[in-house]
Amino acid sequence: MSLYADTQYPVRDEVVAVHTRQLAGIVAPGTWGTGAQRRSVAVEARKAGYEAGLLEPSSGGPEVPDIELPEATRRVIRTIATSVHELDQQFCEGAIAQGLSDAEYVEIVGVVSRIVDLDVFARGIGAAPRPLPPAEPGAPSRERPGTAVMEYAWVPTIPNGVDGGEIGAELYHGQPMPYIVRALSLVPDELRAHVELEVAHYTRLDKLADYEYQHHEGLTRPQAEVVAGRVSALNDCFY
Amino acid sequence: MPGSAQLLAFAEAVISTDPARLDAARMALAEKLSPATVTGASAIAANFSKNDRIANAIGIPVDQNDLEPTKAIRAQLGLNEFRSAQNTFRHFADGTTDG
Repeated sequence: MSLYADTQYPVRDEVVAVHTRQLAGIVAPGTWGTGAQRRSVAVEARKAGYEAGLLEPSSGGPEVPDIELPEATRRVIRTIATSVHELDQQFCEGAIAQGLSDAEYVEIVGVVSRIVDLDVFARGIGAAPRPLPPAEPGAPSRERPGTAVMEYAWVPTIPNGVDGGEIGAELYHGQPMPYIVRALSLVPDELRAHVELEVAHYTRLDKLADYEYQHHEGLTRPQAEVVAGRVSALNDCFY
Repeated sequence: MPGSAQLLAFAEAVISTDPARLDAARMALAEKLSPATVTGASAIAANFSKNDRIANAIGIPVDQNDLEPTKAIRAQLGLNEFRSAQNTFRHFADGTTDG
């Protein structure tokens, strides 16, 4: 049965496929977190959303975390999920000072941002958050890209061009990428998952500057930008 | 622009804490444009909910090439006053030159 069979609004098959992969990826072992840890991160983000009134739980009630995450980590998750205005350098440095590595922080930012993305989509079409599959067993890969360096963000990123090395060339397809694409590059799998959602939900990367291209049925690019701009303004996002 | 008021209302409602407001905005958008646009607008709102969190949590600056072309509209809309603007202006002092 389709992931959105219970909704009255049409969801394209490729979007359903992306969402199914995203949910499976969140509960699989990541680069720094186990499947149980990552699933628990997503559950905590949803719990914060329910408590803030930004989400409505399914009839089955909220999901239960697989493990008890440290209180400091839970605070980081909850703030990213529900208080986007409060995210600043002090917040990032505080999260790392309280025990997360920079790469663990980036992975949590990626997982929380993606589950929020999926849940806002579902809420938009009048659906409850889609259930998270059970956590997958296995160990995280713990692979840190050797070419990631401090640029202008608060955590290392893989630079554009030759300085990014082979991993940069693979991630950026040999093209200079804007910071919003490169932001999660300290954890390449999170960058890949972020871009997969970007292409499904916004537009193809090669069409970013093509204002005649229409990615969504019935919505021109200017109409799409009305939604994008208003959401980002309400989220106090300068980028 | 057709449906601009309904799109704005939907964008605001989908990230609000008021489900009744969202229900009304969803119905108004479907009626004004089409049911498919509700799906499209949901995808775009979702995507930028993700991107805003990534940008603000990682502290990325606006790419330098984008600063000069957006200088006037940033000032007009008050975007330079956003708390997250400091992520850019700590590197590019006046928004156009490497500080």
